[in-house]
Amino acid sequence: MVNSNIDALGIIFPNSYDDLVPELVADRLMASIPFAGRYRMIDFILSSMVNCGIDNVSVIVRKNYHSLLDHLGAGREWDLTRKNGGLNIVPPFAEKTVKVYNGRVEALASILGFLKSQKEKYVIMADANVAASFDFGAFLEQHIESGADVTVAYTEEELPESFKNTEINSKSLYYTLDLDGQRVTNIKINSKASGVQNFSMNIYAIERETLIDQISQAFVRGYVYYERDILSPHLVTLNVQGFKFEGYSARISDMKSYFDENMKLLDENNLDALFDKGQIYTKIRDDNPTRYKTGSRVKNVMAADGCVIEGDVENCILFRGVKIKSGAKVRNCVLMQDTVVESGADIDYVITDKNVVISENQKLQGTDSFQVFVEKGKRV
Amino acid sequence: MAKEMIAMLLAGGQGSRLYALTQNLAKPAVPFGGKYRIIDFPLSNCVNSGIDTVGILTQYQPLVLNEYIGNGQPWDLDRLHGGVHVLPPYQRASGSDWYKGTANAIYQNISFIERYDPEYVIILSGDQICKQDYSDFLKFHKEKGAEFSVAVMEVPWEEASRFGLMVTDENDKITEFQEKPKNPKSNLASMGIYIFNWDILKKYLEEDEADPESENDFGNNIIPNLLRDERKMYAYRFSGYWKDVGTISSLWEANMEVLDPEHSGIDLFDEEWKIYSRNSGKTGHKIGPDAVVENSMITDGCRINGNVKHSILFSGVKVEAGAEVEDAVVMGGTTIKAGAVVKHCIVAENVTIGENAVVGAMPDGENSGVATVGSGVYVGDGAKVGPNAMVSNNVKDGEEQW
Repeated sequence: MVNSNIDALGIIFPNSYDDLVPELVADRLMASIPFAGRYRMIDFILSSMVNCGIDNVSVIVRKNYHSLLDHLGAGREWDLTRKNGGLNIVPPFAEKTVKVYNGRVEALASILGFLKSQKEKYVIMADANVAASFDFGAFLEQHIESGADVTVAYTEEELPESFKNTEINSKSLYYTLDLDGQRVTNIKINSKASGVQNFSMNIYAIERETLIDQISQAFVRGYVYYERDILSPHLVTLNVQGFKFEGYSARISDMKSYFDENMKLLDENNLDALFDKGQIYTKIRDDNPTRYKTGSRVKNVMAADGCVIEGDVENCILFRGVKIKSGAKVRNCVLMQDTVVESGADIDYVITDKNVVISENQKLQGTDSFQVFVEKGKRV
Repeated sequence: MAKEMIAMLLAGGQGSRLYALTQNLAKPAVPFGGKYRIIDFPLSNCVNSGIDTVGILTQYQPLVLNEYIGNGQPWDLDRLHGGVHVLPPYQRASGSDWYKGTANAIYQNISFIERYDPEYVIILSGDQICKQDYSDFLKFHKEKGAEFSVAVMEVPWEEASRFGLMVTDENDKITEFQEKPKNPKSNLASMGIYIFNWDILKKYLEEDEADPESENDFGNNIIPNLLRDERKMYAYRFSGYWKDVGTISSLWEANMEVLDPEHSGIDLFDEEWKIYSRNSGKTGHKIGPDAVVENSMITDGCRINGNVKHSILFSGVKVEAGAEVEDAVVMGGTTIKAGAVVKHCIVAENVTIGENAVVGAMPDGENSGVATVGSGVYVGDGAKVGPNAMVSNNVKDGEEQW
């Protein structure tokens, strides 16, 4: 067969780190959090996979996944409506003996049969809490050339405060790596260390057969977490290598980082960097172009299609279909899809979820360090 | 399964009066309104009216149009039975022919229509901006017991002689057809949109084909023949927005009317009657800290750091700091560099306007030309393109074109 794609299948864990942003995942999951004006978090990792020639992607959902199903549909926008492979959404398959999965091991165990029947030699696994244009081609190439058993991508950065503040026994484990050259010598769990760390992106490359062996063994032993229970204890025998990701990435670790990472995109350099490896695909809404009516005033704004702007807007990210009525003042805000700000309203440092209405003459004032959040569908 | 009505969309027109804009693409593929192409309007009207089978007759420069239509998915016209089909002229055992006229184009595709065994066929034109519910039109056709109906617009009497006119009695029955007459007897202009009973259409197409003298045109041949035979012909009055965008100035005007939906009647913001298009897929547009944007429409992928006033910017347009854009239609992927002044004009796709270049000018008394820059053109630094210019070749730095 002609080899037009890379020989790997993708697996995405859309619920990872849900509990870091409880407000945003009230009725969705990490992967379907709206980001950067017209996208959902999963669009970045999914499009990156597609752009690198991966055309067989499984999304193992855990809970609150209606919004994700609606968003992904049959995967057409990502060119993943395929006869062979394509997009494969795996909901929990409840049995008497199997509960909804907790860690990666249990999640993978639930698709073991599927994994065994696939043809790709390699598997690439990723979470959806990082928005980045990731070059999986280069990633897999390093994995193959280095002869590693497992390759894990990391960034060099300081740990976000929000991670350091998580409770020691939190379910959201995060990992930092000690490296000797590229070889991972130690995986630290929920480290509180300050200064620049090798911060795991939880993106892995591994041979499919190896993964199947690991998971089969781990599952019978009752293991839950892939990193804690499989990788970390076996770093001597298991050749785990690091892959340093040097591109632009936006990691959602709490409400504040959600706000900051959106706002950072008002800098065109960041915006270009986030989209530098080809198109990021998303669900099409068929909105009209955004209309700036006479009397509107806009400064430093990123807006998606479908907005109608009559008022004053400064330093804002506007998602699709946002309406700002005349006389409204909107500064330093992230307004998600179809938010309406009625006339005379004055909001500063506010994040609104989908379909929020800020009624006439309403004032809302947040600060740079603590934004006012208005939940989905609310009228203020 | 038989279809009640299918649509045949005439999209072969060269649009020679749009010259610089239609060098490499057919008129229906000309971009419009920030993110659309002209053909999005009839296609969206079809699907919004419940018509799920559309034949698109192409002939002139079909490449862009073919690629744009693809499998019809953006318009929800990728169907198992029906959907959208691009129909170029083709070779048959008996020989091959280009489409000789509008009627001949349909004639050559009689076998396509027969696959769906429709009761009615609606003939649409691919060069109009119009939001119309064809199911209302069909209802009228059925209520009148018509064999042929044509959609008409009331036009001002003083302009009537520019159009093909339908003279009707008090029941909207057509009694006479006048093609661009000196002395109009009616002000009901044909919109070039017809509903035929399929058996009638087929009969007249075959008869027309057999006539060697015929120009094989609906307006010049088929309609007069129907009248001669006193067929049941009715005029359906349409009162919404309709514009033939066959000239640069009418295309520019229609774009500007999009900016004023409250008065012009062309409302692209109507959730109930969406116009679908193939998406650019670009990220949201960005208005810089020192940009000024007034009364404009801006699409995904734009980067605005200059001044934009009363203009329509398609996806991916860049306006650098200090550039001025006013009363302009700027199509996708164009870059307007620092200090350039772009006014009262149409700039096609992927154009570069150099630093401090000047394109077009605001109308000044009698001089109200709409400057036009064709796609892919490079207008050099400090170059000037006058208000009546049509530019389809690069303009060197500092050069002037009038």
